[in-house]
Order: sequence, then C-alpha cells, then structure tokens
Amino acid sequence: MDAQDIKIKASNVQVHYGDTHAVKDVTVRITDNTVTAFIGPSGCGKSTFLRCLNRMNDTIQTCRVKGEILLDGEDIYDKRVDPVQLRAKVGMVFQKPNPFPKSIYDNVAYGPRIHGMFNHKSELDDIVEKALRRAAIWAEVKDRLAAPGTSLSGGQQQRLCIARAVATEPEVLLMDEPCSALDPIATAQVEELIDELRQRFSVVIVTHSMQQAARVSQKTAFFHLGELVEFGETGQIFTNPEDPRTESYITGRIG
Amino acid sequence: MSNHSLSKHRGSLLTQSSNTKKRNAAETRFKAYGMAAIAFSFLMLAILVTTIFSKGMGAFQQTFITLEVELLEKKLDKKGNRTLADLKKISTFGYAPLIKSAVGSKVEELSINTALKPKQLLGILSKGAAAQLRDFVIANPDRIGETIQFRFLTSSRVDGYLKGRVTRESIKNDKSISPEQLDLVDLFITAGVIEKTFNIDFIIGADASDQRPEAAGMGVAMLGSLSMMLVVLALALPIGVGASIYLEEFAPKNWISDIIEVNISNLAAVPSIVFGILGLAVFINYMHLPMSAPLVGGLVLTLMTLPTIIISTRAALSAVPPSIRDAALGIGASRMQAVFHHVLPLAAPGILTGTILGLAQALGETAPLLLIGMVGFIASNAPDSLASGLMSPNSAMPAQIYEWAKRADPAFYERAWGGIILLLIFLVTMNAVAVILRRRFERRW
Amino acid sequence: MEEQHIASAFDRDLEAIQARIMKMGGLVEAAIVDAARALETSDEDLALEVRARDQVIDDMEEQINVEAARLIAIRSPAASDLRLVLSVMKIAANLERIGDYAKNMAKRTVVLAQGPSVQDCTSALRRMAREVERMLKDALDAYIQRDVALAADIIVRDRDVDQMYNALFRQLLTFMMEDPRNITPCMHLHFIAKNTERMGDHVTSIAEQVIYLVTGEKPDEARIKGDVTSTTIQEI
Repeated sequence: MDAQDIKIKASNVQVHYGDTHAVKDVTVRITDNTVTAFIGPSGCGKSTFLRCLNRMNDTIQTCRVKGEILLDGEDIYDKRVDPVQLRAKVGMVFQKPNPFPKSIYDNVAYGPRIHGMFNHKSELDDIVEKALRRAAIWAEVKDRLAAPGTSLSGGQQQRLCIARAVATEPEVLLMDEPCSALDPIATAQVEELIDELRQRFSVVIVTHSMQQAARVSQKTAFFHLGELVEFGETGQIFTNPEDPRTESYITGRIG
Repeated sequence: MSNHSLSKHRGSLLTQSSNTKKRNAAETRFKAYGMAAIAFSFLMLAILVTTIFSKGMGAFQQTFITLEVELLEKKLDKKGNRTLADLKKISTFGYAPLIKSAVGSKVEELSINTALKPKQLLGILSKGAAAQLRDFVIANPDRIGETIQFRFLTSSRVDGYLKGRVTRESIKNDKSISPEQLDLVDLFITAGVIEKTFNIDFIIGADASDQRPEAAGMGVAMLGSLSMMLVVLALALPIGVGASIYLEEFAPKNWISDIIEVNISNLAAVPSIVFGILGLAVFINYMHLPMSAPLVGGLVLTLMTLPTIIISTRAALSAVPPSIRDAALGIGASRMQAVFHHVLPLAAPGILTGTILGLAQALGETAPLLLIGMVGFIASNAPDSLASGLMSPNSAMPAQIYEWAKRADPAFYERAWGGIILLLIFLVTMNAVAVILRRRFERRW
Repeated sequence: MEEQHIASAFDRDLEAIQARIMKMGGLVEAAIVDAARALETSDEDLALEVRARDQVIDDMEEQINVEAARLIAIRSPAASDLRLVLSVMKIAANLERIGDYAKNMAKRTVVLAQGPSVQDCTSALRRMAREVERMLKDALDAYIQRDVALAADIIVRDRDVDQMYNALFRQLLTFMMEDPRNITPCMHLHFIAKNTERMGDHVTSIAEQVIYLVTGEKPDEARIKGDVTSTTIQEI
C-alpha cells in the first residue's frame, strides 16, 4: 500500500553550530507515506537534522547548513526558497505541547488564516473540524471550541498541536519528540494518530524512546555523534542491526 | 548525643542531636531577623504616612470669611454706563474701601468693640480679596449697586490661627498680624463669620504669589504633569517597545548588540539631572522649543523613561517561552507574524507594568524639570487646549512641591505636604492600574 | 556483546537465565547418557531414575519460560538481547523435548528388559545416543562461546546421526522379517532409534539458534535431510 516514492532526499548534509560540527555528512532518503524515526543519544544531531528539513535552524544565527536537501526534487536551501512557504509544506510538532494561549478553534485556524486558505468563515469551520478529526481529538473538544487550548490535558494539547500542524495541509510532518512530555495513555493515542497520519503524509519523528520508534515507524535512522550510523527497516534495526554502535545503543549498553 | 560509630542505630528520633539543635536555632534566628526587618520597615512606613497626612491634610482645608459687600456705584462706575473699559479702569485699590466698609459694618452688626483701624481690619483678609471682588464686578456689571454676600479667603495667618499653626506667642515679632486682630477673629468665629471648610481650590487651582499662600493650588501643576505623561506615553511606549522587539527578536546577536545592551542598562542608571541638562541643551537651546513647556519636560522624561521601558519590555519578551515562537514558525508564520500575533500579546502585561512603573518614576521626577524651567508660579490659569497645555509654560507636581517647600511662609510648607499627598495618590493610582492591567491581561501558557 | 548494560541488573538477569539453560543442558546430557547405558546394560533401576529425573528438566523449562517472560516484560530487550531471550526460550523447549525422548527411551528399556534381547542393536543405539550427546554438549558450548563455526559443524554432524538411524532402520526391519517374535522388541528399539534421531534434530535446532543469536539470521540453505527412511522400501 505504501507508495515508496522518495519525498525528501538529503545528501551529504553538514550542520555547524559555531565551532560545533553537529551533523556530519548525513545522506538519507525519506519515502512518502512512511513514518521515519530518528533515534540516538542526546546531542547526536538528530533533532538538528530534523530542523534542517523545514529550515527551523534558520532562526539560530550561528547555524550553517551545507549539503543538499531536496523536497520533491527541489533544493529547500536554494536562495529563491522562502522558508515560510517551505514550513507551510513541511509542518512541525514540538517536544512540549505548545498550544497558543488562545481558543482551541483559533489554535487550529491560525495556520489557514495566515496562509489565506479559505474564502468564507464556513470553509474555515470545515478546515478546523477536519483537522481536529484527523488529529483524533474532535470528539473531545467539539463542544468547547472556544475554550482555551491551554485548558486541555497534556495529551490533548499535543493532539491539538498536531491538528494545528495538519490544518495547513502539509506534505511532510516533522515531530520532535512529540510524546516526551506525555503519559503512556496519551502517548499511545498520539502514536495511533501518527500511524493514521501516515496515510496522507510523510512523517519524520525524532524520539528518545526506542520502543516508540519501534512501534510507530517503518524506517529507522540511528544517529551517533552527528553521524548517521545506520538507516533501514525498523524491524531489521531492532532485531538485527548491522552496526555495533546501533546494537550497543538499542540494547542499552555503554557504547 | 553524638554517636559517630558506624552502627546502624543512630540514636533516637525523639531526642534532638546537638547538630540539629544548632541548625534549628540558626533557622529561628534568621526568621527573627527577617521579621524584625519587616517590622522595622512597616514602622517606618507608618511614620512616613502619618507624618505626611498629619502635616498635609491642613492644605485641604481653608479659612473663609463671609461678608456682605455693597457694590457702590459711585465708587465703581462713576459714569454709570457699565462699559467694560471703564470698569476695568478701577484697580483693586478702588475695591479695597468697599471691603473695608463691609468688615466695618460686620463689626458694627455684631456690636463688637475693637480698637482696630479699618486698614487693620482688612489685614485679616487675603490680599486677593479685592481682586476677587473686581473679577466678580467685571463679570457681572449689572449687579453694581446691590449688596452681595461674598466668601473671601482670610489671610494665611488667620488660616494658620484656625489650624493651630499660628498662636499669640508665635506672632510676637510678626508684622502681618497682631493679637488684637486675632481677638476679632475669635469673635468672628463665634459669630460664624469666619469658618474653616474644605478647599477645592487647592486641588484644582493655580499657584499663587508668595504673598498669598492661602490662594495657592496644585491643579495647574497637575495638568502640567498630566500633559508630560501624555507626551511620555505617546513617545516612550512605541519607541521603547519597538526598539525592544527589534533588539530581542530580530537584531543579530553580536558585539554591536552587546554594546547596545550594556549602554541601555547604563542609561537606566544615569542620574536624571543629566537628562535635564541634555534637554536644556538640545530641546531649548538648540531646537528652540519653549522654556518651561510640558512638551519639553515630556521629551526629557521620555529620554529618562526609555531605558526602563526597554529593559522591562525585553524582559517580558524573553520571558515568553520560545516554544510559542517555534509553534508559530512551525506552522509557517513569518517572524513578524509570530511576534505580533503571539509573543507580544503574551508579553503585554509585563510591558504595561514596566511602562506604568516608568511613567510613575517620571511623574515623581523633579531634578530635570528644574533645569528646563518647569518651576512653580509660572502658569496662573489652567491651559485652555491641549496645544497650550503642551506648549505654554507650566509646572509639574514635584517641581511645584519643591517650589513651595523652599518658600519662606510656613503656610506654603503645609501646602507642600498637601501636594505630596496628591502626588502619592497619583502614584498609587497608577500602580493600581498597573496591577489591574497585569491581572487582566495575564495569561498562562 | 562484550560491553555491559547500563542497567547492571539486566546483565545479571541475562547471565542467570543462560546459567539455567546450561544447567538444564547438563541434566539433559546426563539423561541421554544414562538412558543409553541403561538400555545397553538392561539396568532397570537406572532407567527408572532417568524417568524420574525428567520431571526436574520439565520444571526447569517452565522456570526458564517464566524468567524469559519476565525479562521481556521488564527489560524490553532489543536486537542481540532480544535474540538471546528468544533463543533461550527455544533452546529450553528443544532441551525439554530431548529430555522427553530420553525418558521415553528409559521407559522402553524397562519393557525390553522383560523380553529377549536383540543382539547388536543396543550397542549401535548407544553409539548413536553417544553421538547425539556429544553434539548437544558441543551445541551448548557453541552457545556459550557464541561459536558459529562449531554450531554449523553440528548441523553437518546431524547427518551422521541420520545415517546411523537409516542403518538401524534397515537392520531392525531385517530382524523382524527373519523372526516375527522379534517384532515387539524391534518395534521398541526402532522407536528408540527414531527418538534418538529426533534428539539430533533438536540439537541441530539448538545449533541453529546459536547461529541466529550471533548473526541475527537463520542458516539459510535448506538443511540436507539425512533421514531417508520415510522413502525406504525394504525388498522382501
């Protein structure tokens, strides 16, 4: 069922933060309709690399990105590319649920509003409902869309953030440790959601939980000290990794 | 009990070890120091407030004398044609006899025996009484010939006598008033002719010459302060907030921005008189803006307030969690959209509080105003428009207080305290507004 | 993996479960040897003892399964750890089956001891059992040493056992055709032979687990079956 088209093609990506070489020569192919997990110890460059994919690193002054990242064949670091337009295509969900201190409705409607994705209020209503349904939170919030987004529980907030990201109809959804602040039940709900989102998007998720990577992803990439050590089918990585560093990491050994 | 052996039993929990006792005693002592410090500051505050109110409340009351004055036509309008030009020819000297006779007839009416001469009788009234009468006549020429009841201010000595500031002992060397006059005042008080009432003119009136402390008011200086605050608000808020947003959200972080940051912090610590002399040099001497104008005062205070506003605004902006910016950017908002749609509303309570505190600080500032000439007794009337309020010479509350405090007559001293009460009411109100705004806009994230 | 886990308790658990497997392997080896000797010497007491000892082996398998389940639940093992736990469970099952075959051999020994002996066969059976026992010992060594070469060798050696079984099969058929009175003991002996051959298969399975444990891959080439008796036709 998976169309194995390549959505993002990153070649020889290098990222420097000042004097720190954070990402070293990473080459990876991210396929469409696939959940790709980035795992690795803290500071291994996985989040940094993820943030290259929608140029969130642009906000950090000392950050320099070299190499080539193609989204559908177009270089996203081309001078002509406006990062704002790129981020509408490549949405992002963050580690900590970060709803705007506004109503649930306004949270979801914000993206469509700034991108002018509707002509009429009723269209916006539809977009909001669809996004909330897709994020599997519609039933819980449909009666209180005017309530502040911050009044929701942690898991609901994170699903609201996913709804907010989904509302702008991105093609790729980047998730930076989306469940690290959630309890196991909320985590399970978000994971279930990620699996459903795969039908429409290419999802890239950074996670500290190897079990989570194993549960939600089809492809796994293991980063270590800024290098991409191993990239392959998740099942393969978790039962029989090729690289001893991967093995050490996923079996919980000092390495 | 000090058992340092490695045995598992470390002594009973029911008895305190010497170590624990020492620790607890230290903690108790520390708490006691803290409470003593707070008690001391409360005591000081209480003393301050009591002093201010006990000394200043008198300014809100004033002694008046009620007299029936016959507006004699032969004195005021010899030609009888009631033309304004002719009426204005009669100076206040021409009105003095009318008042004198009014006092005289009051003395007769009450069958008081007094050795005072008519001129001395007049001495218990304010020197402004004749002017008050003249103003009335010029405003109502058709009432010449009638006998009208007036409430005149008494002289500041009489006022002081009623307030207990002036006694028969204290006036031994005073040429302005004699014990006989006070005897008459006593009789007038029993007759209800002289009485002490609430003095609205102190709150709304203008300053008066140092001969007439009884007529001096704070109102025009308050308007001056208000005009300056408008200038400060209109300039410092947008400039300060704009600069802060740029520095905090957009400016590249490098040695230039570091230098700017250090300099802003230093500016906040620059003595206000330095801003005053800067204002004098730049706004008045170089740009030729009018002396003593609230506009210039406002500009100087703007310079002084800007660092405060910038520092507090930057603090408020950096207190907004970066996750909010990330969230907006992650959806595809531009930097500016992220700042104006999300960061600024969240920082608003902090910005408002900082601004109002900056304004309060500016409101109480005296030194720079002295340098640009915003001292007392400059405006005798309230300004009639915003433009004149900004451009015509005026004073400000703290400068007015300073001016009164340095005048010789003790009646002004009382007014200085009263002015401080008004200033404090202003400040407390502004701080209360800051607190309310903060409560209202504060949102959790 | 030479390195230690960050959670040292995990290491201790893994060591404990492997020690248990080795102990179980030792018991199973002893059961094979003793059952074979009992058969050769018609030692009924020893046979009964072998039967009794099988209960211990069964209990150990149960314990290993419980321990493995606990490990999976608590430690969520991955990669080589996961393969280790999986292989431990499988090896325990294999050992338990081998133990059952030894017990069955002992059971039949008691029956055979009542009737006439069939010459020559018992020593051939003992040789076969001896070979299986040696293979098992090597398999357990290979397991503990993570020795893929040794494990691969065991898989090859299983063909010898199959050959021995083929020979015995023909021999027993011949005996039965010669004298119908031999049928009862020969049937029992045949079952013993067949069971011993099955033990060899289980040892082979253990060796395969060793290869899977170390390489993460099952030995891919189809194992050459040495047992041809299912297609054997004895000419009368």
